[in-house]
Amino acid sequence: MTDKTTRNRLSAGLNRRRLIQGGATFAAAGLTGFPFINRMAVRAQEAPLKFWQFYAPGGDVKPQVQWFQKLVADWNDGHDQKVDLEYVVNSEYISGSKLATAFASGEGPDIFLISPGDFLRYYNGGVLADLTPHIEDAAKADFPESVIANRMVDGKIYGVPMEVEPMAFYYSIKAFEEAKLNENDVPKTWDELLAVAKKLTTPNRYGVLFETTPGYYQNFTWYPFLWQGGGEFQGKDGKSAFDSPATVQALKLWQDAINTGVAPRQVVGGGFDIVANLGAGLCAMQNCGIWGISAMDNNAKDVPYGIFKLPTPANGKYVTVGGGWAFVANAGGKNPDASAQFCAWALASMDQASVDRVVNWCTVAKSDMPPRNSALKAGADVFSTGKFGTFAKEIHPGTRAEPRIPPEAYKIISDAIQSAQLGGVDAQQAATAASQQLDAFLASYSGAPIL
Amino acid sequence: MRMDQMKSPAASAKSARGLTAKQRERYAAWLFVLPDALGLLVFVGVPMLLSLAVGFFEVNGFGGYRFVGFGNYRRMWGDPLFWSSVKVTVAYAVMLVPALYVAGLGLALLVQKTNRFNAVMRSMFFAPQMVSLVVVALVWQLMLVEKVGIVSRLAPLVGLSGISLLGDPNLALFTLVLVSVWFLMGFYMLIFLGGLQDIPAVYYEAAKIDGAGPATSFWYITLPLLKPTSFFVLLVSLVAAVAGGQVFDLIYVMTKGGPVNSTSVLIIYIYKQAFQFGAFGYASAMASLLVLALMLVTVFFFILTRGGRFEHD
Repeated sequence: MTDKTTRNRLSAGLNRRRLIQGGATFAAAGLTGFPFINRMAVRAQEAPLKFWQFYAPGGDVKPQVQWFQKLVADWNDGHDQKVDLEYVVNSEYISGSKLATAFASGEGPDIFLISPGDFLRYYNGGVLADLTPHIEDAAKADFPESVIANRMVDGKIYGVPMEVEPMAFYYSIKAFEEAKLNENDVPKTWDELLAVAKKLTTPNRYGVLFETTPGYYQNFTWYPFLWQGGGEFQGKDGKSAFDSPATVQALKLWQDAINTGVAPRQVVGGGFDIVANLGAGLCAMQNCGIWGISAMDNNAKDVPYGIFKLPTPANGKYVTVGGGWAFVANAGGKNPDASAQFCAWALASMDQASVDRVVNWCTVAKSDMPPRNSALKAGADVFSTGKFGTFAKEIHPGTRAEPRIPPEAYKIISDAIQSAQLGGVDAQQAATAASQQLDAFLASYSGAPIL
Repeated sequence: MRMDQMKSPAASAKSARGLTAKQRERYAAWLFVLPDALGLLVFVGVPMLLSLAVGFFEVNGFGGYRFVGFGNYRRMWGDPLFWSSVKVTVAYAVMLVPALYVAGLGLALLVQKTNRFNAVMRSMFFAPQMVSLVVVALVWQLMLVEKVGIVSRLAPLVGLSGISLLGDPNLALFTLVLVSVWFLMGFYMLIFLGGLQDIPAVYYEAAKIDGAGPATSFWYITLPLLKPTSFFVLLVSLVAAVAGGQVFDLIYVMTKGGPVNSTSVLIIYIYKQAFQFGAFGYASAMASLLVLALMLVTVFFFILTRGGRFEHD
């Protein structure tokens, strides 16, 4: 073959006829590929269900990794439709972009975890599968109303809670002793809280710590202070009830703690991180959830600590808030029925293995209160002694479920908390401004009931 | 004489494929540029166009799209948090860009002479760039914590006691600017060093003979001849301040936009609208407007400085 021949072939390589021929071939290949694509779709049906969470297999807490791995192994042993664990790093999962992006592009996981703060967004988006048909009546009754209510709409269950995480106060025994205080001095009222915090404040340490970083978690930790005075953000008439004396006094409590210099304006890591704050000596008392027990016991073994329930205002009653994550199934996933069945089988079956699984999660993998009465009974040995006992007997009985609030309303409340706590805005003014914004939002809201 | 002007008879003759040397050179240049251009088109150009399009829809984050025309743009007009974020962004840029210019140029002037000590210093100034910004943000957060952080412990020595550099809404943004300057100045120092080394030494020698001191030389030789570099630095640092990923990482890790939205720059607000509130349409509209604003500023810069050219160009 000569150079000339080659040249001629090359020059003829992209004429119009060739282009049309190529296009036709490409289109034909695309059309004939449809059966293959269909086969791929069938195969997708048989592919393992994707279970996104932030614990396993990549998590760094071994008992939690093992719990999830055993859960999936047990399911896969007895079911044709397999499940695969897919680990999403915590910061990407909580307030991160991964889950949101996946659902926006129609590639959401089949099974995933959500907190009450996110429930309405996903429910209103139509992606939560109804789990009710897979949960027997006895199991439904096993979940206390205060735990399951914020995962239900119109009597149907859309999420199975894994845990209940009530908020309390942790205190450093060493700091108390240095201030010549003891366990009898733990504060019972808000006034006492500020007074004790003042005694515990030193040039190198704050007396008390409330979350200061804006976000869902800060709102979550503030709600009990609102409720204790009888406050609500929404009235029975559906309108804002935020502009109330209860709101003002709750905002003022956090503001006073900052203004009197007994609480920091900035926390280390986050207010949920008890080791980095109380454990490291930044504060003497910290508002934190039940997870603090395992965090302190594992990572701050040399820091003796005690726990007490949230103090109440002079005119109020004791309430705390209980957060916690729940298993949910994607209604638009590969096999929503099997995904829903998995959620129910894992955490909401009357089978003893299901109950034991809840107990193990709450006592071995984590330190949480169980979301089921049967699990509380089955783990009675653990839940009746030590710090778990304090939670079970003194703190948990006053637990109210974390409210489910649309993101827009969350932001309004968050701005009110921030402006009063750190911006120095008058608490009444902050409550009034937020209430007006809430009213405007609630008037246009049309999703599932806010609880 | 330029390379393309050095034509040999053999080179100027048409090749076997009928291409002149100049044409082949031009095609080669395009081939080199092509991968980058394709990458930009696919990963920047197309998403930008899609984002512009999505900005005209109300998107629920779960596949639901509803055309709303300029509804998202009208919403911005009445959204106080949008305007507050714009104000914070402008304040951040107004503080950061000149500070980076001065710090970058200052460091470059300090270490421009080639010797071992300056080589070490250059490496030290550039070192923060080698560390993940998330790590940088976390370390600074720890150093700034009230009462226990090293900065907070040293602050009383200069008469600043009882302040919270990240927890006070009046100080948080300024603190973030300082951390940003600390992190970025090494990068801009390198760019200025490149610019300084392009200035012929003979100019300084001539100025010295004429009796010019260091300040005069800097004012009449260095600054004017650094005009293209300055243009580049100002433009890049402005884009970094307004829409850079570095700004986002730093603020998201250190303050999450708080306290009281005082560090909530526009890209943080856009992120929250998209990924926390699921308002992808609104977020896209804001992002498109931000790009448009940056383009306008860039064009204005180009016109003002004639693309950073020298006076005699």
